[in-house]
Amino acid sequence: MSATHKRFVAILWTMFCLPTILQSPSAAQTARGADIAVVVHPDTPIDDLSLAEVRRVLLGDRQYWNSKLPVVLLIRAPVARERDVVLRVIYQMTETQFKQFWIAKIFRAEAASQPKIVYSNDMQYELVSAIPGAIAFVDAHNVRPGLKVLRIDGHFPGDHDYPLR
Amino acid sequence: MHRQLLVIAVLFLATGSAWGQSPPLPDQTEQVRVLLERVGQLEKRVAELEAKQGVSPTPILTAAERTPVQKSESQGTTASPGTAHDQMAQEQAVAQQAEVHYPSLQVRGFADIDFSATDQKGTTSGFNLGQLDLHLASPLSRKISYFGEMTFNAHANGYTVEVERSIIRYDYNDYFKLSFGRYHTPIGYWNTAFHHGAWLQTTIDRPEIVRVGGTFIPVHFVGFLAEGNIPSGGAGLSYSFGLGNGRGEIISRPGDAGDINNNRAWVANIFARPAKLYGLQLGASVYRDKITCQNNPIVPAVPGCRLTNGNDYREWITAAHVVWTKGAPEFLAEFANVNHHQVLTNLVSNSQGLYVQLGYRLPWSEKTLKPYYRFEYLHTPQSEAVLPNLDLVESIAGLRYDISSYAAFKGEYRHASRDILKTPTFNGIVNGLFLQTSFTF
Repeated sequence: MSATHKRFVAILWTMFCLPTILQSPSAAQTARGADIAVVVHPDTPIDDLSLAEVRRVLLGDRQYWNSKLPVVLLIRAPVARERDVVLRVIYQMTETQFKQFWIAKIFRAEAASQPKIVYSNDMQYELVSAIPGAIAFVDAHNVRPGLKVLRIDGHFPGDHDYPLR
Repeated sequence: MHRQLLVIAVLFLATGSAWGQSPPLPDQTEQVRVLLERVGQLEKRVAELEAKQGVSPTPILTAAERTPVQKSESQGTTASPGTAHDQMAQEQAVAQQAEVHYPSLQVRGFADIDFSATDQKGTTSGFNLGQLDLHLASPLSRKISYFGEMTFNAHANGYTVEVERSIIRYDYNDYFKLSFGRYHTPIGYWNTAFHHGAWLQTTIDRPEIVRVGGTFIPVHFVGFLAEGNIPSGGAGLSYSFGLGNGRGEIISRPGDAGDINNNRAWVANIFARPAKLYGLQLGASVYRDKITCQNNPIVPAVPGCRLTNGNDYREWITAAHVVWTKGAPEFLAEFANVNHHQVLTNLVSNSQGLYVQLGYRLPWSEKTLKPYYRFEYLHTPQSEAVLPNLDLVESIAGLRYDISSYAAFKGEYRHASRDILKTPTFNGIVNGLFLQTSFTF
């Protein structure tokens, strides 16, 4: 190994270790609030998903509920708490990373369009009701009759071990 | 030379740091949050009032099924004019979101502007336009989509336009998707993860083994591709299998206008994204082709076989990759072996190429800074008859700064040793500074 390569290794070591030591969870990362329910169109042939399966759906790795019913992703606009929880718990991305992820996804021809953006709970409710295959994330206090609430990892919103909060 | 590089590097980093200190407009964010909370409270209040008045929940209707009569009834009984207007606006928004039009063309562009300066004798420093890249995506129906990619490339005497990808895909379900067209060959990871938009990749350039216009692996492929998920539980397996024309007469290009021999190339790729290790991808690929080296002479700008003897060669490419894509850290490692077997004489050669790239999105400045390092190695033996001499050992250290969600600055220092540059008076080692701003629009 030449001297130049040794210098590179030393720089790398510093570059990777220092941030890890200094990094601590921010307030946003530790904040806790109401559970976020995963709701789908009532005709969707699914009742429960694991968190990993929800992640596959949101990452666009699973695009069909069955061969006739495509998944339609609905995601709240930025700053809504539902979106914050989805980005933090499921995507584990910042807002910028999330935008970049979907641009790259379409660019790779792995998806034809981005998730639909919704601006209010009413709009979200009506879209999930109207679009077969739609899936959305709603504050558990605002869930209305007529939608199907999915169990996540075997738990409903409000259960102690419910993962989306 | 070194002083110039130092000054440019300092300027670049200082600009980046200054930009990184711009405040993210907390007032606006807070206002939006307050307004959204207010909207949520009002929606809750409306729901409570509707419940008290015995109004049944909104029936499940599509936007198209909502008739003007229903709207006027609701306006006349429960809503004030202002509320009715808001409700109509919302219904319009819902109807627009629910409707899907085919075809639905989306266009996105990528571009980059670069600066380079090296200590290689005979080269000049300066700016250059990178690729202007247009990406088209258009769903043609619920299960059929078109994807296209075109680049505009600056050359000394003008521009060239290249159709990089043109794909029509039919999705049967998650397990089987069939497409036809011109692809980036699914060998390894990088070639199908980043394509031509420099903004998408952490570094300024692609690794040498997948360099666009390079010869180590066939970057493009014309034919058909079947791909999908494999039912595998938490292993998250996916596959792709393709059949196509393989390398053309110019071995860096596919046979766009037809194959040069009567032998199809095939490629198979399998990878896993384990559910419990979100961010990890492991994969392996094989590629098989027959290359016919033509008897025409090599033009330097148009790479053909190293030996233009008219012989046929069987090509086996095997590749494997491990990547961790979450950014903190980012880890990409890829290895490929290119085996050429001369049909006539049974002579065999193996060329190897690899890269390892590490990056780390720093927690400060809203995670906009990402230092990175990449090591690259390529070896083509003397017995290699198809590929040119690609021997390379290179280290790249750089910093990427995301100036916004859609634009980035990158700065790199490279230290490369290229066998082909070696002369009795030059050891083939080149140092250089490279800068780039890349963006999408």
